[in-house]
Amino acid sequence: MSQSAKQPNRLAAGGCVDRNHTLNFTFNGQAYTGHPGDTLASALLANGVDLVNRSFKYSRPRGIVAAGSEEPNAVVQLGASEAAQVPNVRATQQALYEGLVAHSTNGWPDVQKDLMGWIGKLGAPFMPPGFYYKTFMAPASMWMTYEKYIRKTAGLGRSPTETDPDIYDHMSQHCDVLVIGAGPAGLAAALASARAGARVILADEQEAMGGSLLDSRECLDDRPAGQWIADALAELERLENVTLLPRTTANGYHDHNFVTLHERRTEHLADSAPSIEGRRQPRSRLHRVRAGQVVLATGAHERPLVYANNDVPGNLLAGAVSTYIRRYGVIPGRRLVLTTSNDHAYRAALDWLDAGHDVVAIADARETPDGELVEQARARGIRIIPGSAVIEASGSKRVTGARIARIDREAFKVIGPVETLDCDTIASSGGYSPVIHLASHTGARPSWNETILGFVPNTVKGVAAAGGARGIYPLADVLADGADAGAKAAASQGFEAVFETTALPRVPAIREGEACALYQVPHEKTTLRAPKQFVDLQNDVTAAAIELATREGFESIEHVKRYTAMGFGTDQGKLGNINGMAIAARCLGRSIPEVGTTVFRPNYTPVTFGAVVGRHCRELFDPERYTAMHQWHVEQGAEFEDVGQWKRPWYYPRHVNGRLESMHEAVVRECRAVRERVGILDASTLGKIDIQGPDAREFLGRVYTNKWAKLAPGRVRYGLMCKDDGMVMDDGTTSCLGENHFLMTTTSGGAAAVLEWLEMWHQTEWPELDVYFTSVTDHWATMTVTGPEARKPLAEITDIDLDRESFKFMDWREGNVADVPARVFRISFTGELAFEINVQANYAMHVWKTLFEHGDKYGLTPYGTETMHVLRAEKGFIIAGQDTDGSVTPEDLGMYWAIGYDKPFPWIGKRALSRSDTRRTDRKQLVGLRPADPAVVLQEGAQIVFDPQQAIPMTMVGHVTSSYYSPTLESGFALAVVKGGHQRLGETVYLPMADGTIHEAEIVGTQFVDPEGERQNV
Amino acid sequence: MSDIRQFQTHPEVDVATESPLAYSLQRSGAPAITSTSQVILRERPCLGHLILRGGAIVLDEALREVLGLSLPSQPHGLNHDASGERSVQWLAPDEWLLIVPGGEEFSLESQLRDVLGDSHVSIVNVSGGQTVIDIEGEMARAVLMKSSHYDVHPSAFPVGKGVTTGFAKTSAILRRPSASRWELVIRRSFADYLYRWLLDAGEEYGIGVER
Repeated sequence: MSQSAKQPNRLAAGGCVDRNHTLNFTFNGQAYTGHPGDTLASALLANGVDLVNRSFKYSRPRGIVAAGSEEPNAVVQLGASEAAQVPNVRATQQALYEGLVAHSTNGWPDVQKDLMGWIGKLGAPFMPPGFYYKTFMAPASMWMTYEKYIRKTAGLGRSPTETDPDIYDHMSQHCDVLVIGAGPAGLAAALASARAGARVILADEQEAMGGSLLDSRECLDDRPAGQWIADALAELERLENVTLLPRTTANGYHDHNFVTLHERRTEHLADSAPSIEGRRQPRSRLHRVRAGQVVLATGAHERPLVYANNDVPGNLLAGAVSTYIRRYGVIPGRRLVLTTSNDHAYRAALDWLDAGHDVVAIADARETPDGELVEQARARGIRIIPGSAVIEASGSKRVTGARIARIDREAFKVIGPVETLDCDTIASSGGYSPVIHLASHTGARPSWNETILGFVPNTVKGVAAAGGARGIYPLADVLADGADAGAKAAASQGFEAVFETTALPRVPAIREGEACALYQVPHEKTTLRAPKQFVDLQNDVTAAAIELATREGFESIEHVKRYTAMGFGTDQGKLGNINGMAIAARCLGRSIPEVGTTVFRPNYTPVTFGAVVGRHCRELFDPERYTAMHQWHVEQGAEFEDVGQWKRPWYYPRHVNGRLESMHEAVVRECRAVRERVGILDASTLGKIDIQGPDAREFLGRVYTNKWAKLAPGRVRYGLMCKDDGMVMDDGTTSCLGENHFLMTTTSGGAAAVLEWLEMWHQTEWPELDVYFTSVTDHWATMTVTGPEARKPLAEITDIDLDRESFKFMDWREGNVADVPARVFRISFTGELAFEINVQANYAMHVWKTLFEHGDKYGLTPYGTETMHVLRAEKGFIIAGQDTDGSVTPEDLGMYWAIGYDKPFPWIGKRALSRSDTRRTDRKQLVGLRPADPAVVLQEGAQIVFDPQQAIPMTMVGHVTSSYYSPTLESGFALAVVKGGHQRLGETVYLPMADGTIHEAEIVGTQFVDPEGERQNV
Repeated sequence: MSDIRQFQTHPEVDVATESPLAYSLQRSGAPAITSTSQVILRERPCLGHLILRGGAIVLDEALREVLGLSLPSQPHGLNHDASGERSVQWLAPDEWLLIVPGGEEFSLESQLRDVLGDSHVSIVNVSGGQTVIDIEGEMARAVLMKSSHYDVHPSAFPVGKGVTTGFAKTSAILRRPSASRWELVIRRSFADYLYRWLLDAGEEYGIGVER
């Protein structure tokens, strides 16, 4: 058969692979073939690829050990193109697809001829635990150099250097019962919950659902396990209340039954998610599940035995041997030696024999193995060596033999002669560890169960483990336990669930002999002198390292973990942790429960960053808020500034003489337009709150520092709002629309916070006040027409009388603007004559464009936030959040005119203004700064000192809060806070800069332009 | 009620009108509806939106008298009138959203104020600030699950329910007027972001937009 010639380890029959179709793939540049249904690992084994990686620290050759997520060695780099590179992929979990390209993550220059291997060999005696801490500590300056080489030789793959072409997303799920794991317990649980009518999600991390049943030798209802799986899945698929999520790993269990599931949707198909009819689909999806009840049916991981050279390729878990033979039709060698502490592992020998290959011997650590599987093996003529174990594997890049000896487990020593058996594969089993990782994420520490020789989970409310996950292993019991857990879970969510044993398939019980406790196998030499006995293959942690750590005084298992790196990385101690704890316990003379476990943390297996981010990236990273005139700004070529989530026009650069203006040029032009003729600003982003109720006026008086009692309908007033600590939080104008009706404006960034602030005070402190607040920010579009000629374009398109006597500064009027009903407010943030026009946003673009039709001849110029800032600063108008920072009182700002000291009700913040600290005369106070050199524009944030000669550290007395170049003044100017500044007008201060220059500036008033405020009244 | 200054926002003559999605439909386009479209979006632009605040009993009586529509009796409730064109939704213990055909909102507010007399209530026209997006199709629920953490399963979100909830990275009002149709009520300034989000979330389901 040509096929078997190409895949020397592929069995002629058996398994779930489709031998009629061939898939091509490459590993480390070599072309191979496999079949649909293969994992990358099974295909590599089928092709006889022994060496899949080099180890992390010692660079030893490594092969495939396991068949599932616990695989420590076969961690590969995947991807044909640079953009599709994926590190950290376990070959045992990666489905094979046509054109798959994989590489070993370690090994330089390549995995076969590895230079680091020599260093590992030569350096091994000199690389004890804590090696990096001890060796590369000094001199500290060299760490950067060391690190470069250590990083090059270590690690588990690399990130792509090109942009990932794929998309990933999130989905929120809610269910009554989340079942994690679709083995016998999980399927039974899901069926029981679903039949009761509960909303069920069943998630399983493998390519196919079925778990241990996929390679089981047992029959359910006298039929092969696969048929029962198919029936169960068919029933679940039919039920509308069930969501099946294959290829989905529950990677994190969080508080309150919030579980994150990582679904790999297309990773079994290609490098990159194939598009369907030109539509992208997500490569993987993170399900954020809120579950009423969680059933952990995560099964158990087999523990390898820890014997010398147990990392040489050809050493496998016994269960993995069965999986490769029965599920994938792959025989991982020719001559098998099994070393075990229990009956269940005998399946590997029987499967091996069924596949037609030699079982050399079974070394059973028990004196009198006698279970049913043992009897079957004996009956088939397999040599069973009782009271013994493999103490050492021979070979370097592949097992060539097994050294077997009688051992005394209690005394931890070899007690008989060593026999060397010729073999190419050693399967080992030291028992089974329930997969308690997710239960541990809840914070519940597991307990040691002496009967099953493993930790079983302690669960918190809302979670139950079932089957192997809590140390129940016989298939019939697992099914019953799963069904029971599923029924109880549904019942806890209010569904009437009846657990009927008759609904379960009949499974003949298999009599199993008692397992014995064996973790590290003794060697003729002491642990420190014997060849390496690996505990954690991924992190290259040996039994000797753990022994050394305990000798060096690391007694807590958490310290041993950190000193040796056991259980680190993507592995999270799946294979090695229990063995490591057992070794630590032996060395410390304690029991395993006394030593305890380390804490398993999310994620169970690595989750790609793309799935964590979901669609919240690039153009969807954060909301962009647009005003009704946004399109016009874009078409005018405006540059935008982020103000909170708003995109506001920053400035509008124009083409002048074939060249685009710089920002400075554009801002100078825009400033001059407003000061000399007329400009227009899109001010729609201002927060707007409609306030109604007979107590609205009273309420305003309590939240603003100034007085509102006499503001008449038709009038507008500026207000300052303080926190209860007396510090300015926001400001804006509020208009009286009717006796019981006001319109408040807030800063663009403060709108939501101010509304919440008002609601909080109303709901918690003054519920007796009859007043309601409603946000109308988005309802009104606002455009500010300002400049000495502002009246002219507006007058052409409005029926409102704009006469200065009938429509005064700080008045508002109703009327039509460009045929659209509008409220027009005569308020000014520029110091010039200004009209703020509010119209319903759906009509705003029409009004805006009409203003330009009529405004062109008056030089109507759109200006952005930068010009707005310059103009308002020239007038000394503050921006809350820029000139204030939560530590500035209205008095610090010099705004005594806006403080109603004698209001009858004490407004928020009033009391704080009489604290000793707020009464200090040397508080930082808002002043203007005029640089001595008019060409200088001081840096915002620059620190201010009185004495430039003082030695560093100098006494800092304030800082610049706003600073611009003023085309009107033809000079730089700034607002700043300076200690005692209000008493220091005319004094000189200094601003030492990082580059050594020291700027000089004079303290002046805050109003640089039109200090009498005449221009806004024209 | 001269103490409250009601304001007619609609012009008496025809002027160009731009709904909150007008720019987005032009900028991001409107994917055609095909036979494989499993999600369909549709803006219902320029409706009348009023926020009612006050006591449930007086508002319920006034609304029944003026519109023949009663306030939802439960939190998260959504009631429609017989025509299905007018709806009132519970937003908070003293807050409801009334949506009516565009142009009706001013006279409706006047009528309600007449009936309410001196009762302490607030009625605020927010029609320019929000818009309604219909979401239909067999994968509509999947798009919502990608966008919001709220449970939209029929058992948790029956017809006649409406909630204010997180949606993508902002918030939206989500309501279910019928078994097959969902409605999003979104704020104008977030409309473009949410439209782009919905097109993206619906891409794999062949989302189409009805103009």
